[in-house]
Amino acid sequence: MANRNLTAMRKREASSDPDSELVLVRLVDAVEDYGIFLLDSRGYITTWNAGAERINGYKAEEIIGQHFSKFYRKEDLDSDKPGMELRIAAEAGHFQDEGWRIRRDGSRFWASVVITAVRDEQGTLLGFGKILRDRTERRRAEQHYRLLIEGVTDYAIFSLDVEGNITSWNTGAERIKQYAAGEIIGQNFSRFYTPEDRAAGLPQKVLATARASGHYEGEGWRIRKDGSRFWASVVVTAIYDEEGQLTGFSKVTRDNTERKQLLDQIHRHTEELEIQIREREATNADLESFSYSVSHDLRAPLRAIEGFATAMREDYGRLLDDTAKDYLDRISSAAVRMNVLVQDLLDYSRLSRVELPLEPITLRSAIEGVLGQVEDREHLEVEIPAGLKVVANHPTLVQVLYNLICNGLKFHAPDVVPHVVVTAEKRDNQVRVEVADNGIGIEPAHHQRIFQVFERLHGAEAYPGTGIGLAIVKRGIERMDGKVGLQSKLGEGAKFWFELPSA
Amino acid sequence: MPYNARLRTHPVMPPQVTDIILLVEDSDNDAQLTMRAFGRSGVENRVRLARDGEEAIAYLTGLGKYTDRVKNPLPAVILLDLSLPKFNGYQLMLWLRTQPEIKRIPVVVLSESENSADIGAVADLVQSYWIKLNEKPRLAFHGKAGE
Repeated sequence: MANRNLTAMRKREASSDPDSELVLVRLVDAVEDYGIFLLDSRGYITTWNAGAERINGYKAEEIIGQHFSKFYRKEDLDSDKPGMELRIAAEAGHFQDEGWRIRRDGSRFWASVVITAVRDEQGTLLGFGKILRDRTERRRAEQHYRLLIEGVTDYAIFSLDVEGNITSWNTGAERIKQYAAGEIIGQNFSRFYTPEDRAAGLPQKVLATARASGHYEGEGWRIRKDGSRFWASVVVTAIYDEEGQLTGFSKVTRDNTERKQLLDQIHRHTEELEIQIREREATNADLESFSYSVSHDLRAPLRAIEGFATAMREDYGRLLDDTAKDYLDRISSAAVRMNVLVQDLLDYSRLSRVELPLEPITLRSAIEGVLGQVEDREHLEVEIPAGLKVVANHPTLVQVLYNLICNGLKFHAPDVVPHVVVTAEKRDNQVRVEVADNGIGIEPAHHQRIFQVFERLHGAEAYPGTGIGLAIVKRGIERMDGKVGLQSKLGEGAKFWFELPSA
Repeated sequence: MPYNARLRTHPVMPPQVTDIILLVEDSDNDAQLTMRAFGRSGVENRVRLARDGEEAIAYLTGLGKYTDRVKNPLPAVILLDLSLPKFNGYQLMLWLRTQPEIKRIPVVVLSESENSADIGAVADLVQSYWIKLNEKPRLAFHGKAGE
C-alpha cells in the first residue's frame, strides 16, 4: 500500500525509468532502522515505510493523509514548530533537528530528523522528504554520561571548541575553579592561566599539542576566580567528528596543590639537608684546622710550662725549700694532666669525623699491641682463642682495648691487688669481648652516664683520668658497627663487653 | 726542650767544616729550652737562631745581615721546626734541596706534628724527624735523606 502511494507520487513527477524507480521504492519500504516518508507541500503525509511504522507506531493506512504535526508535543505545537521546520526546509532546502516526538501510544521518543524540500524542474515545491531516526537510547546514554561528568567533583571536566572557548562545565570545575557554568561558558580557557604563562603563549601551545598528537598532558599553576593559584594536573584530548574533523577538546583538570606542596616540601627538605651536609663538610674542615691549632697552640705553652718547671727544679733546686719544690711539682703534674686531656679530646673528636677503614683483624694480634703499652701486665690475664677475627679499624680497636684494660686496672680499692681478665668468644656472626675486673664496681644507675665525655664518678685525686676514655670506647665501637655495655654492681667488680662483626 | 737529645754533629759532607748549628724555631720558649738542653748535654757547638723560614734562607744564602760568612758560617746541621710563619719548614726543605752549595747539609726536624701526612711529606728531604712531646721527644724516623 505504501509503495503504491509512493509510486503514484513518483509517477506524477514523470520520471524516466519506471523499473529502477520501483527498485528504489521497494528498498525504502523495507528499511526498518529509518523512518522514511513524504509530505506534501502543506505537511500532509503521503507515503510511509516499515521503519516509520516501527518507530512511530502507526500503520500506513492509519496515517497517510494525516498532518505530520501529529507527532509533536503540545508545547511544540503551541510554538508552531512543525510549520517553522517546513518553512526553513522550503527556504534552505534542508532542515535538521533533534527533539522529543510522540508515538501512537502517547510515549515520547528522541528523534533525529532531516527534512528535505522536493521541487520539480521548474522549482515548484512538490513536498518534503523526511528521514527519522529513533535516538532515544543514545540520548539516554549521553544523558547518563553527562550527569556522570557533571556530578564529578574531584575533577574539573569541561569541553572547549576549536578556539578554546568553553562549551560545557561540570561540578568539579565549579568547585576547583570557582566559576559557575553560566558565567564561564563561552569564555576562553586561557583565563585560567597565569599572566606569565599567557604571555609565553602556553594556552595556544597546549591546544596545538592536543591538535597535533591528539593529546596533551601537563602540570602547572593555574588561577581560580578569586585570583588564588592552584597546582593543576591537566589532560587535554582532541575530539573529532565522524569525518575526522576537529570539533573541539575535552579538558580534565585535577587540583594537585596538596601533592605539589608535599613534593615541594620534600624537595625543600632535601635541599636543606644538602646544605647541612655541605655546611657539615665545611665544619669538618674547620674542626680539622681547629684540631691542628689545638695541638700546636695549646700544647706548645704546656710544653713551656712543664719544661721551665723542670729547668727551674734542675738548675735552681738547691735554692728552693720543700714548699717551693712542691709547687713546682704541682705545676708540672697539672701541665702533664692537661696535655693528656688535650690529647684525649683530639682522639675523641678525631674518632667522630675521620673515616675508619675496616678490615679483618686477629683479636690476639690486636691485644698484643695493647700489652706493650700496659704498665701492670702482671695483673692482666688474656684468654682469647687463636684465630678469632673481627672486622674493625686496627688503631681504634687497639685504643678501645687499651682504654678498657687500663680502666679495669685503675679502679680498684686501695687494699686490693687489681686483676683483669680479657676473654672473647664467637656468638653467631659477632665476636664478644669481655674485660672483667675485681675493682670497686659501678652502680647500675650510672651505667649509661659513664660513657659520656667528661663523666667521672670519682675525684681525679682518687682515680686520675680525663673522663674521656670510656667515651672514646663507645664512639669507637659504634663507628665500627659494634655494641658496647657493662655488667656491674657497686663493690662487685665490673665487666665491660663489646661486640664486633666476626670476620 | 726538657729532653736529653744528644746531638752529635758529624756533618756528612758539609761545604765547609764548621761547628754551627742553625736552629730554625719560631717559639721563643722552645728555642730557650733547646739551648738549655744543648748546654746540659755538653754540646759545645755555636747555635744560630732563625725565627722563620725567610730568616733561615737569608742565613743560608748569606743575604742581608748575614753577608759576613766569617761571622756567620754555613751550619754543620740544621734543626728545623716545621710550622713556621711566612715560609714553612716543608717549603724551606724543598728550596734547600735544590741549592747546589748547601743541599747536603743534614737536617733534623723537631715538630709537634704526629700527623703521618706531615711526616711523610718531608721523609725524603730530611735526615731524621723528632716529635716534640711533653715528656720525651719521640723519633718518627731516622735515615739517610735522598740526594
